[in-house]
Amino acid sequence: MSRLEAKKPPLFISEPLTRDAVSQSLSLLSGILKSSYGPAGRLKQLHNGVGGCVCTTSQSSALLGHLSVSQPVLRVLTASVQNHVSRFSDCGLFTAILCCAFIENFRSLNVAPFTVIKISKHLLSLCMDYLKSEACACRVSVDFSNVETLVCLVRSILTSKPACMLNKTEVDHLTMLVLKAFLFTVPCHVETNAILGKCVIVPVKGTRVVDSTVLPGLLIEAPEIQLGKPLAVKRTGSNAIKTALFSVSMAGDGFNPEEGTIAVHHGVSLEASELNELLNLGKQLVKDEVGLVMCQKVMHPCLKQYLKENGVIAVDRAGLCLMEPLGRLTGSKPMASIHSLSLGCYGSLKDLCFESFASKHFIHLIPEDTVICSLILCNRSETAWDELKRVCETAEHVLQLTMKEPLALLGGGCTETHLASYIRHKSSHLPANTFKDLDCSQTQYQLVSDGFCHSLETVARSLGHNNGEVLTDMVYGHCWFVPSGSPCVSNWADLVSKCGCGMNSNTKDLNWRFLQGQSSSPIIQSCPKEPSEKVTDLLTLECFAAKCSGLQVALETANLILDLSYIVEDQN
Amino acid sequence: MRRSPARSPSSAAPAPRTPVPPLSQLRARREAGRAEGRAGRAAWRAGPDRPRCGRRRALAGAVRGALGPRAGGRCCCAHGRGDADADGRRLLEALSLEPPAARYRRGAGRVRRARLPNAARVPVLERAAMRGLRAAPAAGTGRAAGGAAGAVLGGRLGPGDGGAWRGCAPRCAAAAIRPPPARPQCCGSSAAASRSCMPLCPACPGELQVLPGIVLRRDFAAYCPADGELRALLVSEPLQPALTAPGVEFVVDSEGQYQASLRWITKRTEALMKHLQSNNVKLLLSSSKQEEAVIHYAKLYGVSVVECLSSEEMALITEITGVSPYAPFGDNMDRQITETAVVTFCRPLLLVSKRCVHIGFTSVCAFQPHCLILCGPVDGVNEQHADALQEAFTMLQQLFKTVDRREEWRAEGESQSETSDVCTWHSTTQKQLVIENTYCDSNQVSECQLKAVSDETETKILDPDKSDLLVHNRKKHTTTVLVVRNTDTVTTCECLDVAKGVEKICCHVVPFKQEESSVGITQDYSNTLIEAGSVLPVGGYFEILLHYYIQDYAKQCQQSEVTVICNVVADALLSIPKTLYRTTKRDSFTKFYLEAINSLRRNQPLPDKGLESVYCKYQLVISVLHCVTELLSIDLIIGIRRPLQKIEDRDSEDDF
Repeated sequence: MSRLEAKKPPLFISEPLTRDAVSQSLSLLSGILKSSYGPAGRLKQLHNGVGGCVCTTSQSSALLGHLSVSQPVLRVLTASVQNHVSRFSDCGLFTAILCCAFIENFRSLNVAPFTVIKISKHLLSLCMDYLKSEACACRVSVDFSNVETLVCLVRSILTSKPACMLNKTEVDHLTMLVLKAFLFTVPCHVETNAILGKCVIVPVKGTRVVDSTVLPGLLIEAPEIQLGKPLAVKRTGSNAIKTALFSVSMAGDGFNPEEGTIAVHHGVSLEASELNELLNLGKQLVKDEVGLVMCQKVMHPCLKQYLKENGVIAVDRAGLCLMEPLGRLTGSKPMASIHSLSLGCYGSLKDLCFESFASKHFIHLIPEDTVICSLILCNRSETAWDELKRVCETAEHVLQLTMKEPLALLGGGCTETHLASYIRHKSSHLPANTFKDLDCSQTQYQLVSDGFCHSLETVARSLGHNNGEVLTDMVYGHCWFVPSGSPCVSNWADLVSKCGCGMNSNTKDLNWRFLQGQSSSPIIQSCPKEPSEKVTDLLTLECFAAKCSGLQVALETANLILDLSYIVEDQN
Repeated sequence: MRRSPARSPSSAAPAPRTPVPPLSQLRARREAGRAEGRAGRAAWRAGPDRPRCGRRRALAGAVRGALGPRAGGRCCCAHGRGDADADGRRLLEALSLEPPAARYRRGAGRVRRARLPNAARVPVLERAAMRGLRAAPAAGTGRAAGGAAGAVLGGRLGPGDGGAWRGCAPRCAAAAIRPPPARPQCCGSSAAASRSCMPLCPACPGELQVLPGIVLRRDFAAYCPADGELRALLVSEPLQPALTAPGVEFVVDSEGQYQASLRWITKRTEALMKHLQSNNVKLLLSSSKQEEAVIHYAKLYGVSVVECLSSEEMALITEITGVSPYAPFGDNMDRQITETAVVTFCRPLLLVSKRCVHIGFTSVCAFQPHCLILCGPVDGVNEQHADALQEAFTMLQQLFKTVDRREEWRAEGESQSETSDVCTWHSTTQKQLVIENTYCDSNQVSECQLKAVSDETETKILDPDKSDLLVHNRKKHTTTVLVVRNTDTVTTCECLDVAKGVEKICCHVVPFKQEESSVGITQDYSNTLIEAGSVLPVGGYFEILLHYYIQDYAKQCQQSEVTVICNVVADALLSIPKTLYRTTKRDSFTKFYLEAINSLRRNQPLPDKGLESVYCKYQLVISVLHCVTELLSIDLIIGIRRPLQKIEDRDSEDDF
């Protein structure tokens, strides 16, 4: 019997938010996240002291996934941001920065947490109602018959991560590729239950980004195929290629009983028997006019040789990830037994050809009509490729989300400042009974709403990393970045030309205001307007669903944390 | 929970506040015990409440912080990922309290939790009671004090006092569910749907969603879309026959035989799937993992497969459908499969980014399964919300329980000191007074029995206006058992008829006239103390009411000891509303207390914020007093080396 070890008593911490260690960790985390935010964000290099890979990134999923957060309070924060990212892929940094800002701003107020939570929930509901209403001036509707807005959306996502190391042409190239890949996955014939296809990203590292491309169908790496030799594939009568897909090992590695024993008499070889069976299977495949045999696992060399001699192309080690798209692409059902073949399991392909990218050789499976495509993604370095892959996946996901809800929000900090302006305007024009319903005073409401707006503006402000001023206008409530090193002048109109999202170009009389710091005088804000003439190209856009969820998650998590009064930490 | 007397009466003699051996001596002995290593000598610890005050304060503090909807005192239990809790059970578990007294409280809490919702407030009350009782100078030995306290409360809620609790009815059962401090977060749209080649399933429209049928939290091993009603088969073992099994040796004579065996296995699997298909079985629910070949043939023959179901899920499905797992290994493959469940739908469901299985069964029993989908920012919050709902259901299940007068617990209050006998107080389902009375002096037994017999008839002729104490009080040995009050607080309950109450949206208060109520008691409710479905407004009214009652009773008590204990219990009860109203303004509790008392006096309606079940509260208070009594009766804690064996006592399961 193992010795019972005495359990350590749990650590009990009261009022965690008032502790220095927590506020220090919080401001450190918030600093890390803020400095990574946006196209001009600084990169973070993640590595451990032992060696191995180094990751250079400014993405929340990579950052939060690798940071080991010791403070339980912050673990709540990171867990909920990661949860958000797993659902929406996008707006992770936004959520995290906003959440930190909420905590920092609300904590400094001299209002009971319970009241803060109530008021901030009311403010959130004002925001959400506004964002979901037709009157919302910081959102644009996405027209799927027109590629322009989609291009803006994808481009904004690609440029927001500087660790991809892309220049302008590369961004344009990749934007088109991502869009193309997405369009491939949309089925042409829509039935009641539309199922989107899949885009498989094929890594090619060490080459130029512009070498990336999109192909319909799938690419399977096949190192032993010699290039130059003409590809002779057996075809069936209808000029299609018959395919067979195996999910079971074809290596003849024998029978491995999990339990019990197998006694083999002298002279009997199970291996030989297995191989024999495999060759029988090969014969059957040849007889059935199969042109391509694919196996998830390893194929016995003898079987491979046999198939090759009979003009059948054999591909093994396809891997589990490819099994589902392969099945969908060819229409073949993965076979789990080598003992019996059923005719219904075969699939078919339109064509096969060889492709090679950089030093890698692939077999390209070309289907008749498909929703499966391959994005051959190239980048110069390993770490930049990793970042690029994550960004492309995010873009793909955002497009899918946008298809469900064809809306986008203005990027470049404009949504945040616009929302802040809206809330400032709205909260100063609230009916008196609102305060009664919320069981708070008007002053309390004003304080919390200021903190709320200030937090939103903090996010917009953290987009500017070059010590330049960040402004907002009182007319549209958009966000404007002043280039660094500009002289402090009274007329900001001389210095700024375009707002963060690119929708407004500089016109006079926009009534600028600094975003920095909490202003001493109350800001009188009229309801922010929608620009009369809309620019639709070169806008910076963000995913509507992801941003809305980010806003909600940030506030709810902040409220959760503000509500904490004790921490019980298990030390075992 | 029944505790046999731990010591003989004579050993109860030592002064109450002095542990048997002095503290320092005990410490020394404990050190000695340690030094002796594995000698097995018991380590001694001084009285349960002496050391480690800090920890106890922590328990009380954390739990008190988490009490009430406007708490603002969530507790974050950090283990692995981040969580945040305001749930009594979780807090108690996370605290992993080592001092035995606290451990006992925690254990009691767990038991209570299994039966009663809203256990978070128990420790608060308990602690307050403990503090009070320890401070009470006249408390006597812990046991006596606790016993008396129990007696007081038992008496208060006991026979003859039913007026206060009767006539309350549920307005809308759901109103009684106290929402947890944080609302669940919107269940995001099925974002990753298309990414993983999934049908774009409908987005969850709100914060929570109720789905018919059950959701299994794993993906299909094989999914073949099927429309309309289909049949499902439950299996609990691998469907593919194996060549060998543990302890079985398979002898291979020749290669041909080996291959033939393998082929037979494959054919057999295929035949089985064909057989299932021909029996219109389109869904296989398996508690074990199935071979790849099984999945393959299932796909081929249009059978969806869900593997690795937990035993709870299997049991649930069996309960819903009345179908037991199918054993495939009969030789006779042609046998009709009869034990199949009827499935109305079976489809993949995307929850956040996980693929799940969503199945609707045709239920053979009255129970129609539904799933509630909660979505929160962190897992811990979800679990907490799930627990809150579970508690709400537990509460609703208990809402319509009644407490009969006959079931009432009775203790022989003050007579203890005189008889110096062990008057332990029993759990609430002491059905026969006679049993208890056997603890009393033998010369009183006959009287007790007499009383027990006459009990029922007595209650019927009660006249609350005139008699404060029952006739029995004259008989010397029990004074606390039956007390009837003629206070106007009778009117405080929200009174609705059960039948009417369901339709009414808002509660109204029917002010009882004194006479009416007493007539009511004597005529209609003579046998029920707490009527089925009794509710009170939430927010400390129950505690204030009880406080009021007990104090009032204390005033009339002749015996000073009882008076003291009554006051302690009454004050302890106030700790709940005090905690509830501690937050915003400094004097908010006082304000609330005065308002409550005033509206009670004037028969004004109480604020209608939500309701709580009187039955549950009643049980809660009884449990607390039980626990406190037990703790106070302990005078020595003995550390032992081996863990105690758990003995399942069936008696206590039926207690509540």
